Amino acid sequence: MADFIQQIVVGLGSGAIYASLALALVLIYRFTGIVNFAQGELAMFSAYIAWTFLDAGVPFWIALPITLAISFVGGMLIERIVIRPVEGAPELTIVIVTVGLFIFVNAAAGWIWSFLIKDFPNPFPDGALRAGGVSVGYSTLGVLAVVGVVMGLLYLLFRHTKIGLGMRAVATNPESARLVGIRVGWVLALGWGLAATVGAVSGIMVAPLLFLEPNMMGGVLIYAFAAATLGGMDSPVGAVVGGLIVGVAETLAGAYVDVIGSDLKVGVPLAIILVVLLLRPQGLFGKAAVERA
Amino acid sequence: MSEAIETREKSTAPASGPRPARSWLRFLEPRGHWVWIALAIALILPFQLVPFRVFQLTMVLVYAVALLGLNLLVGHGGQISLGHGAFFAVGAYTAAIMMDRWDTPYPWTLPVAAAVTFVLGLALGVPAARLHGLYLALVTLAIAIFLVPLLKRFEDVTGGSMGLTLSKPQPPSWTGLAEDQWLYFLALAVAVAAFALVAGLLRSRVGRALHALRDNEIAAEVMGVRLAFYKTLAFAWSALLAGAAGCVYTWVIGFVSPDSFTVNLSITLLAGIVVGGLGSQAGPVLGGLFVMFVPSFAQDINQGAPGVIFGLLIIVVMYVAPTGLAGLAGRAVRSFDRTLRKE
Amino acid sequence: MKDTAGEFLVVEDLHAGYGDATVLHGVNLTVARGEVCAILGPNGAGKTTLLRALSGMVKGRGAIRLDGADLLGRSPDAVARLGVAHVPEGRGTFMPLTVEENLRLGAFTRRDRAAIEEDLERVYGYFPVLKQRLKQPAGSLSGGEQQMVALGRALMLRPRVLLLDEPSLGLAPLVTRELFGIVQAINEQERTTVVVVEQNAHLALGIAQCAHVLETGRIVLSGTADEIQADEQVAQSYLGYRV
Ligand SMILES: Nc1ncnc2c1ncn2[C@@H]1O[C@H](COP(=O)(O)OP(=O)(O)OP(=O)(O)O)[C@@H](O)[C@H]1O
Ligand SMILES: [Mg+2]
Repeated sequence: MADFIQQIVVGLGSGAIYASLALALVLIYRFTGIVNFAQGELAMFSAYIAWTFLDAGVPFWIALPITLAISFVGGMLIERIVIRPVEGAPELTIVIVTVGLFIFVNAAAGWIWSFLIKDFPNPFPDGALRAGGVSVGYSTLGVLAVVGVVMGLLYLLFRHTKIGLGMRAVATNPESARLVGIRVGWVLALGWGLAATVGAVSGIMVAPLLFLEPNMMGGVLIYAFAAATLGGMDSPVGAVVGGLIVGVAETLAGAYVDVIGSDLKVGVPLAIILVVLLLRPQGLFGKAAVERA
Repeated sequence: MSEAIETREKSTAPASGPRPARSWLRFLEPRGHWVWIALAIALILPFQLVPFRVFQLTMVLVYAVALLGLNLLVGHGGQISLGHGAFFAVGAYTAAIMMDRWDTPYPWTLPVAAAVTFVLGLALGVPAARLHGLYLALVTLAIAIFLVPLLKRFEDVTGGSMGLTLSKPQPPSWTGLAEDQWLYFLALAVAVAAFALVAGLLRSRVGRALHALRDNEIAAEVMGVRLAFYKTLAFAWSALLAGAAGCVYTWVIGFVSPDSFTVNLSITLLAGIVVGGLGSQAGPVLGGLFVMFVPSFAQDINQGAPGVIFGLLIIVVMYVAPTGLAGLAGRAVRSFDRTLRKE
Repeated sequence: MKDTAGEFLVVEDLHAGYGDATVLHGVNLTVARGEVCAILGPNGAGKTTLLRALSGMVKGRGAIRLDGADLLGRSPDAVARLGVAHVPEGRGTFMPLTVEENLRLGAFTRRDRAAIEEDLERVYGYFPVLKQRLKQPAGSLSGGEQQMVALGRALMLRPRVLLLDEPSLGLAPLVTRELFGIVQAINEQERTTVVVVEQNAHLALGIAQCAHVLETGRIVLSGTADEIQADEQVAQSYLGYRV
């Protein structure tokens, strides 16, 4: 029993990571109807930026906000420069452009920082809380707490600020939003900036757990997609719940289903995506079947 | 304007007269002389180049076959696959396992690899046809990612991470060809057959249905095009071509391992067809050249350079030239044709 | 600023459309300050397109001036900032957002917090039903209530010009009449200039001082509401009776 609970705790830890990247995906989807295949790579790039500061001796808690600010601006610039020209283009075109961005960012990181792996310091202390044979690592707690804080901040932004209200208006009715005087173009850019910031948090949390290298997020991305699909592509809450479920499911499957084992765990997101799409395409919390033609 | 009329005339011409004897050559019709010139060059080249270059051109043909499949799906069907490397891998492993375990003579591996991937494509095509574009991209990506650990798991069959090493097809002595030349001609034969197959497909009802679906799914459905049926079929044919390419890959390289078929392969293939030219006939060949040669040149600048170039080009192509290199080349060829005719 | 009461909103030789399809072929019209002006015309005449050009949603050639300021070529948000509130065809409701959020969005371009709260109260004054529905998703409201939300949202801008596109669409006659009464009240109490596109010519002419008839992208008839009402042609086409 203790072992089972232990596995769940581990699953929640990785689930929180998936949730954070899924959150970034969902943010962009809500505002622009685009699924950004490059989201994981942008997160990786942010982690490298943070690493650069840390490597230069900047303390973590100073490097973090600087990195987030850079990621925010970077995300907005990407929307303005890369995505704006294909706004309103067929879905195929947009997906291909984000795949192009994926390849570019991945390779650019390798070019700038080399493809060799780098150590990334863990901001959370080592050690673990123990209770009744279950141990919860401080870093697991830390990651969960960070995701909780990010969720809370997004909630405050969307529910209690004017900008947030404007953003929700754009997400629900862009035409009408323009008529009330909202600069829709800027809101879309803002959405990308926010997503890049949330993604940066994700990248910075992943980096100490895995090693920092250009392909670091490749594995995480598919879990984040599964999380977003499960929760509903347009639901931030869904992304978090979906992420946690995917994390737990993956860990339990790896631990208790012999055929799967630790090596075939990546089959879990594939299975989840397929099942959700065929049975409930809008996901658990999604508003409607996601069909943007 | 005059250009549009020209092309329309050309494409309707073969259908107007009864020319049964040459009907199988119809795929060569549009700007036919250029196809013959290209083929002639392709036949001469292996006797003019050093073995390493011949090998590279062989790989171009392998990629071209895979891209032909991807083009059928993406360019003509308007569906997105980020996992075509998986079908390529299945074709490659089918050939490798047959040759390794049962000492099957290599020619037999091609039809089997094609059949296996076709069936697999059908099986995946059924759920795929129900998925909206974006989700198809997701699912195929997930499949491509899942395949690598799967290949490593079934070690006794696939050789695990170590992969399988095989002896390459040897040229029959009567040909007097060297090994690299023989492999080249095998690949060329498969490529020509694949081009003929696709051209035939596109001229059949399948092709017309696909174009109708790509251009306006709803209108096509209203007109009675059986959406799911044709989408599934396109997926299966596309998988078959990728599988055939994988099979030839095994012949040419003589080695397969899971790490040759990571998701990077799938993404490279997508890059190749986008840059080569979506929906165009020359696109797969140009894409193959691009995928083969650009990395090998760019690698000298930096390990990241090929990716940077690929990524940038994909984005730029989508902005300025959605028909890719083929579209640009087509324009050049047409103006060249015109100057020739004037003289 | 000189008082140009006769020509507060001026449209001159306006050509506009969608891509290659030109819909408006040289529209000329003026609306005086504080007037209600009705735009009549058959389906597909370009009435909606005209309003969309006024609010910057479609591009055009020619000139549009509001109190001397050029509107043409400005983005919709800039036009809104100049005090043009457009209630689009179909109401433009933000369905999942609450009624209150819908209303507050109308004041998005404003900075004067205290005045915004005042204006909210004033909107509730016009539409008491909305006050009971504040926290409800706007999408759950009836058509008439949603039209009230749309009008209320427009009022929250403290507009100088109110553009209404077929406010009666899909509403019961009684509700429509009530709504037009409120529009008239708004016009009288706030001195807001109103341009109203309407299929129901009776109702529109009932509250309007001037009217323009648009057919296939051209103004074919302009005059005071009474003149238009008396016009035989109009009577036949839009009022459903002979004079
Ligand atoms: N988004 C658009 N793209 C292209 N053409 C459009 C678009 N919207 C309207 N049109 C065309 O412009 C013309 C005028 O349309 P508009 O909506 O302005 O007419 P209307 O007078 O408002 O008609 P109704 O009384 O039916 O609302 C029509 O022929 C219509 O087909
Ligand atoms: Mg209209």
